Amino acid sequence: MPNEIDHSQLCLKLKAVAQSRDKQAFTVLFKFFATKILRIARGKFPNEAQANEVVQETMSNVWRKAHLFNADKGAATTWVYTVMRNVTFDMLRKIKGNKEDNLSDDIWPMAESMVSETDNYEDHLAQDNLLSVIDTLPEAQKEVVKGFYLMEMSQEQLATKLNLPLGTIKSRLRLALAKLKVQLGEDHD
Amino acid sequence: MIKHHPTFELLKSFVDGELPASLSAGIAIHADMCAVCQHQIAQLTEQVAEASFEFEEAFLDRFIVDSNDDIEDMPVINFDQMIDDITASNALTETVVKTEKQISFNEQSYTLPNALHNMDLGRTTHIGKLSRARIQLDENEIHTSLLHIQPGGGVPEHTHKGFELTLLLDGSFEDENGQYVKGDFIMLNGDHQHHPISPEGCLCYTVANDALHFTQGINKLLNPIGSFIY
Repeated sequence: MPNEIDHSQLCLKLKAVAQSRDKQAFTVLFKFFATKILRIARGKFPNEAQANEVVQETMSNVWRKAHLFNADKGAATTWVYTVMRNVTFDMLRKIKGNKEDNLSDDIWPMAESMVSETDNYEDHLAQDNLLSVIDTLPEAQKEVVKGFYLMEMSQEQLATKLNLPLGTIKSRLRLALAKLKVQLGEDHD
Repeated sequence: MIKHHPTFELLKSFVDGELPASLSAGIAIHADMCAVCQHQIAQLTEQVAEASFEFEEAFLDRFIVDSNDDIEDMPVINFDQMIDDITASNALTETVVKTEKQISFNEQSYTLPNALHNMDLGRTTHIGKLSRARIQLDENEIHTSLLHIQPGGGVPEHTHKGFELTLLLDGSFEDENGQYVKGDFIMLNGDHQHHPISPEGCLCYTVANDALHFTQGINKLLNPIGSFIY
């Protein structure tokens, strides 16, 4: 695939920033992220100075909080996204409500785990695989499977939500499960 | 067991940072108690991060040349200057050790959820077995509170023209639709009439908006809930 992100490279640079305050590494990160952050921020803030402030604030936090990044708990892109989203949230709140309370780090803590600690690595991979297989299902079956298994809705709730007869929900689930079984092989019974 | 969760649409907007602080905090508190939603949030975050930073790689290659001229051709911001400013200080942000905060209602003490640690709490008002402390988020028509119900207390039958989120922080309550436990995330709209009572007492985090000033953005966002009957 072209344009694929080099996750391990970004991760190494972020660690170098955290451990040895490596300015070279930071410059690489900056060049990777800054223009993208700027483009996203311009979509959220009409004012150019505010969009620039998002870049400045986000990248400052990357420099000052790099030690809070934990490679075991997610990609560097996910962590930088969290930093950017938090900066944006606090700035928007300040602009709208005239309140400068910086709540974002309480709502989306950066030092804590992103993925539930009870998930072990194997399970995580298995679920990723399952999700990608679910995505290959026809749309009608996909929404039933996702609602039933991932969002833990009952068949009755799904029937109401999707405005379909209960029998349709049941037959879609049955069809989808048959397909999933074929795709995942016997060991996923 | 927790049975009531935020909808997929709400989780997605939460991850995108597009919900008001009141609802964002509600989802964060729920996710702290619900491994299923926590996992889904982690996956959504990973996906949106990937989507945000993946493209324009080819475009960006032009700037990865170590030449100042190329970078200064970039719009409005002087990136080199910004890098110098940021790295001028080597200080790391100190990790604040989180201490538990307590809140008490009627001589009963509760641990305040992390997401609420830095929010301003108003004075507690009492009506019968109900005690309410407003959380001052200044979100105009959206009102956020901590609601405590003493054992045997309840909320008179009511409807809301807007939406009403009840997140059970401790204890339990029940209404016409069944029993709710700690962690349940119950989003109701104007179609619902309910009369919750709490035989054992409970503490809830509630968010409701005033129908008179319904904002279009949130209204639109909550539309899927209209058809989501518990």
